[in-house]
Amino acid sequence: MVIVRRKELSLRERLYLPEIARGLSITFRKLFEKPITRQYPEEPLPKDEVTRGQPRLVVKDDGNIACVSCGMCEIACPAYAITIDGGETDRPIEREPKKFEIDMLRCILCGFCEEACPKDAIFMSDELELADYSRAALIYDLEKLKRPKSALQKRIDYVYRLNNRWRKSSSTS
Amino acid sequence: MSPELLEIVVWIVKVHVIFLGMVGVAAITTLAERKVSAWMQYRHGPNRVGPQGLLQPLADGVKFIFKESLVPDGANKWMFRFAPALAAAPAMLTVAVIPFGPDVTLFGITTPFSIVDLDIGLMYILAIGGLSVYGVIVGGWASNSKYSLLGGLRASAQMVSYELSMILAILSVVAISGSLDLREVVMQQKTLGEWNILYQPLAFLLFLIAAFAETNRHPFDFAECEPELVSGFHTEYSAMRFALFALGEYCAMIVMSSVAVALWFGGFSVPFLPEAHWALGIVAFCAKVSCFLFLFLWVRWTLPRFRFDQLMNLGWKVMLPIALVNLFITGAVISFAPQLKSLWNGLVNGAS
Ligand code: SF4
Ligand code: SF4
Repeated sequence: MVIVRRKELSLRERLYLPEIARGLSITFRKLFEKPITRQYPEEPLPKDEVTRGQPRLVVKDDGNIACVSCGMCEIACPAYAITIDGGETDRPIEREPKKFEIDMLRCILCGFCEEACPKDAIFMSDELELADYSRAALIYDLEKLKRPKSALQKRIDYVYRLNNRWRKSSSTS
Repeated sequence: MSPELLEIVVWIVKVHVIFLGMVGVAAITTLAERKVSAWMQYRHGPNRVGPQGLLQPLADGVKFIFKESLVPDGANKWMFRFAPALAAAPAMLTVAVIPFGPDVTLFGITTPFSIVDLDIGLMYILAIGGLSVYGVIVGGWASNSKYSLLGGLRASAQMVSYELSMILAILSVVAISGSLDLREVVMQQKTLGEWNILYQPLAFLLFLIAAFAETNRHPFDFAECEPELVSGFHTEYSAMRFALFALGEYCAMIVMSSVAVALWFGGFSVPFLPEAHWALGIVAFCAKVSCFLFLFLWVRWTLPRFRFDQLMNLGWKVMLPIALVNLFITGAVISFAPQLKSLWNGLVNGAS
């Protein structure tokens, strides 16, 4: 059983008017305070290397993508957003994707692909905006996913930092 | 031009200026409502249409006109279409007797700045203003929806309860000024010391509270009461018909503010400048009315809604007795003024 004790109102409170005046003075003071709403398109969202935006493929400094189409990310992806079609290349790594698609409407930005990748080929960028007029346009292919390494460098460093910490703690145990 | 024709022309011009002015102010008030609420809640408010969002009412108007105006299947079609007009018209009619300014002299013509000066202006405002609730009731009933009907019923109960106290509060002022003509009442308050607020503060307070209830504004907006009644009497309304209800509400706010200014705050008289130019008088009136309109918005975004039984308790058990006693004391003081004066003099003389 719960006993709700109601506060006895004082005469001042039961008269309403002084309390109303108090309330009004509070709202009046708030009138002049700075709005905290973000004016979105003009004031973009704050981003840094921790921001887990949409996954992007790294293009190395020599102009080739780092991906070897091993399919690890495809398997790791819990949303089945990634579709890879492997192919061969004359480069020493021998394999590269013929087709690499991420369905951005399915991607849940979990970052598992980034974790799974053995070749540091896919990273979460800080690109957050996603809008188009058709579903087909939001299935990103290789060309739409490629980003120069420099654009992703901050995130790459961050991920390395994280992983190093993990390595250290596991080696001591 | 013959004098009669001239009079008609002047009259037509006045009607247009005042009526369009009021609708314009009502539109601006809708924007002000959104802006004030936003600022009080640390938001920006509408700021996309025009500079600082100033053209927002225009965009709203265009949208209201072009949206589809639905009529529910089970509704009483004619009543449903008629109700918004019935709700908006009384507020617009009452504006006719509001004295917005002193005698205006333009192009050699001198005319009082109000559409008509009725001897019984206050009676007219109360009589016509009281009709606006029919729009709400008819709208609520004709929608054939339980929420609308409840909203309409609440509006009628509320209106009956608060109109009484409001009339009694106004009567107290009428008693001391001895006139039902608003212009006459204003003329008697030429200087700051003559403002009726000094003599009838209690009546003003009662009027203010009743005015909130009469215009269906927070904290007494039981006719629309979103948490319980979806949107109350205008649940089923859309497009311009819905806008008419809102327009009626804002016009009623303007009229109530004007009445309060005219009866208690010296109307168009300028403080410290009893012989000011007429333009200054109009500005003073508008400024005073704006303060009241702001008060309406301010209260709306501060107070929570009352409970319906609290509303009725307040109306019948608190406001009505106080209004009656106030009127009684006012009447007693007026009728026994000579005796009181001599008594006072006797006391003063006896003491000295
Ligand atoms: S971020 Fe997650 S959901 Fe998106 S592609 Fe990578 S693994 Fe799939
Ligand atoms: S896990 Fe890395 S290397 Fe393997 S397919 Fe995905 S992106 Fe390419």
